[in-house]
Amino acid sequence: MAKITVDARGMACPGPITMLVRAYRKAKKGDIIEVLATDPGFEPDVKAWVERTGNKLVELKKEDGVIKAVIEVTAKD
Amino acid sequence: MSKGLAIIMFSGEAEKFIPLAVLTQTAANLGVPVRIFVTGYAMLYFLKEKPEPRVTKEFEDVAPKVMEGLKKIGFPGWLEVLREAKETGDVKIYVCSMMAEAAGVKKEDLDPIVDDMVGATYFMTSTEGYQVIFI
Repeated sequence: MAKITVDARGMACPGPITMLVRAYRKAKKGDIIEVLATDPGFEPDVKAWVERTGNKLVELKKEDGVIKAVIEVTAKD
Repeated sequence: MSKGLAIIMFSGEAEKFIPLAVLTQTAANLGVPVRIFVTGYAMLYFLKEKPEPRVTKEFEDVAPKVMEGLKKIGFPGWLEVLREAKETGDVKIYVCSMMAEAAGVKKEDLDPIVDDMVGATYFMTSTEGYQVIFI
């Protein structure tokens, strides 16, 4: 199980989700993807993406204007 | 979720290429197929040689500020976002053959991002059941 960090700080919508999707494609089941973003739309967007893809949102928090989402890859075989 | 997005890109106004790019990339991210039919004056921006961007007249006063803001927030430009969307998912860009004929545009004049030159019948049948967006 790998931990992948995606730094999408400073990127506008839909950049952070695009970067997350790219990391997700390479990820395996059980991997953890951590995304850092500053786009204000990222919070609802990442929730929607997780719901749509059936993965697990382990953590979602905002600190000093940076949104951190930790996703566990559960929807892959 | 819809079966796919059929986007008809008609307007040649600069700011309208932004939602085209953002919606396409978003759909690609979600695994939703996108088919774009480029017609009207929008077609001119899908050529190798593009005219200068033209913003909507009523917003000319604020446009430079918004364009500057887009750079500031790291928006890579609509064409680049479309390119990324094509790398991400199932995205095809078609130029309207009728408009191309009318403007004297040949296949070799098209930007490499364009997949093909097609007629409306092909577009309509190949996007059956898709959600239609007209820009």
